[in-house]
Amino acid sequence: MPGMKNIKGFFEKYYTVPEGVTVNWIIVPSDGGAYQAALDEALLNQANADADDKVDMFLAEADYILKYVNSEATQDITQIGVTDMSNTYKYTVEACTDTNGVVKGVSFQCCPSGLVYRRSVAKEVLGTDDPTEVQALLSDWTKFEEVAGQMKEAGYYMTPSFAETYRPFSNNVSSPWVVDGKLNFDAKITEWLDLTDRMNAAGETIPAGILDAEKNEASMLAEAKSFCLFGPAWYFNFCMGPAWEEGTGSLGDWALIEGPAAHFWGGTWLLAPEGTDNPTMLADIMNTFINDEEVCTNLVVQDAQFSNNKAVNAKCAADDELGANELLGGQNATAVFSAMADNIKFQNQTIYDQLLNEGLQAQFQQYLKGTVTRDEAMANFIKYVNETYPSIVTE
Amino acid sequence: MDKAAKLSKRKSVSYAKWGYLFILPFFLVYFVFTLYPQLLTFYNSLFENYMDGLTHVGPNFVGLGNFVKLFSPDATGSITIIKYFGNTVVLWILGALPQFIFALILALFFTSTRLKIKGQGFFKAVIYMPNLIMAAAFAMLIFGLFGNTGPINKMLVAANMPTFDFLAEKISVRGLIALMNFLMWFGNTTILLMAGIQGIDECLFESARIDGASSTRVFFDVTLPLLKPILVYVAITSMIGGMQMYDVPQVLTNGYGMPDNTSSTMVMLLNKYLNPSRNYGMSGAISVILFAITGILSLIVLKATNKED
Repeated sequence: MPGMKNIKGFFEKYYTVPEGVTVNWIIVPSDGGAYQAALDEALLNQANADADDKVDMFLAEADYILKYVNSEATQDITQIGVTDMSNTYKYTVEACTDTNGVVKGVSFQCCPSGLVYRRSVAKEVLGTDDPTEVQALLSDWTKFEEVAGQMKEAGYYMTPSFAETYRPFSNNVSSPWVVDGKLNFDAKITEWLDLTDRMNAAGETIPAGILDAEKNEASMLAEAKSFCLFGPAWYFNFCMGPAWEEGTGSLGDWALIEGPAAHFWGGTWLLAPEGTDNPTMLADIMNTFINDEEVCTNLVVQDAQFSNNKAVNAKCAADDELGANELLGGQNATAVFSAMADNIKFQNQTIYDQLLNEGLQAQFQQYLKGTVTRDEAMANFIKYVNETYPSIVTE
Repeated sequence: MDKAAKLSKRKSVSYAKWGYLFILPFFLVYFVFTLYPQLLTFYNSLFENYMDGLTHVGPNFVGLGNFVKLFSPDATGSITIIKYFGNTVVLWILGALPQFIFALILALFFTSTRLKIKGQGFFKAVIYMPNLIMAAAFAMLIFGLFGNTGPINKMLVAANMPTFDFLAEKISVRGLIALMNFLMWFGNTTILLMAGIQGIDECLFESARIDGASSTRVFFDVTLPLLKPILVYVAITSMIGGMQMYDVPQVLTNGYGMPDNTSSTMVMLLNKYLNPSRNYGMSGAISVILFAITGILSLIVLKATNKED
């Protein structure tokens, strides 16, 4: 979902393709697992494909990256010439390291995710829009719910989508979705279901999906009545489009803090498939996006990304002019993200996460809309799991 | 002797072999692209065979295990495949019944020698037009129109009326699916029925009218009975299409068939098994069940409509 469309833009903007090489992009939407299905087919046919039709590089996200990392479809990038990963964040390397310790790719971004709030609403309801003071009011989930109550009273939604709070919980689970082949509900997931249930019943959020137009209308427009969202750097470009519109949007009226729970969300990794006939260029691309200082700086300064280069991020975090983010009213987002990035751990992930996360939200949304009971929604989720992944046991 | 032998040989020259030669391409295509996959589906339905990530599981022979699994009740006690079969039938009838009635009325208007409607070619083209749109694109359009921030709800707000979550409620989701199927197929049915009515000898209508029969009488006692073969054909093809209903509800509900899977169809279930796990065993079993249901329903329609003769 996040970086797919972005990476093509960044690639064309920052990478000079050697003469005589045509890059053929195959873009498939991620929703419902369509991208995974198309990619699986291409990788399984890799050995038989013509040289020009072989996959030379592909992208994967945190929710399903392990499927490709722990397979023979990907290869060791240190063998093709990507050796210096000293500048990258630890979790971005862990995510694409297989069970034998072999590194199979790199990420062009690092994705610590925070709470983004409307300054004008904070000022009106909480009496301040200063990030430090607002963070103190939202430092845990109990406080978060208290503020949600205040927002409701003042006529605002705390969040414009029930799913907005999902990642801060799902990313802090202490056990993965599947344990010993069995579906496993972590306490954090249940906690999220309960919180969302309460917030929805109290009218503090709405049962709109995270990418719905309804959510955008309720939060991004100048007069919109919502307080906060959760997201990493890619969220600003990828999910907050309407906020950037001059006149109707809310450009500059936002601020970023860590929020009630440190977490990360997504990330897009460039992986090296086995059988590529162009390993030199592949290594060059990977090195460019993690080690080329100019490119990484441009990603931060021009594109409001949080790069996967610690030195560049530290430079931008220290310089409020370089790190200034227009959407956030000039706040140095890189400084906020930098403080969070070192603590990210890549853990409790499975190859099934994307569709389990999507399915849980979609089934629970029906409950929040009042068309099924909570028990029915959960039973429908179990059914969905059985149909989607025959290998997962649900008892 | 020599001559006689030659003669008898010439006599035995059969032109039938040319006939066989001419129909050979059809049968070749049929065997390769229809019969073989069909048999393969039956075969696949008896195996456990799917992908777990990039790992292939199976094929392991499980007998009728996949069918047993399909007919086992879930935690709430409902049997998915039966529920989805019910949904499919309801969605088909909701769309097909008004479609037949509407198409029949239009066909009568267009073929009436008394009305003599002008510009028939134009109308025929226009009513057929919705069928040319891709069903998925049509569903996307309706999804946009009836979404919570779509123009329909915006109009309701502007008219000071309460908004309605069309894509969350059973009645509206089913209604929209039926509406789309109706709009897409009534033109096709109208044209088929018109061909049927025009195939009836005009003298029969004339003599009925001369005998003083009213228009209703002519319709029920002349047109309808003689139109029966075409009606049966239309009913069976529509039913087969209805049983295979997939793209409209899939796109409209993003594959979830909300609310509570009340707009999930059999083929949507098949698709869920295929994607992303390529579960050939389970989807093969659903295909076999679908084949059996379609066969049985077609026989029932055929029998029921031929009985009165």
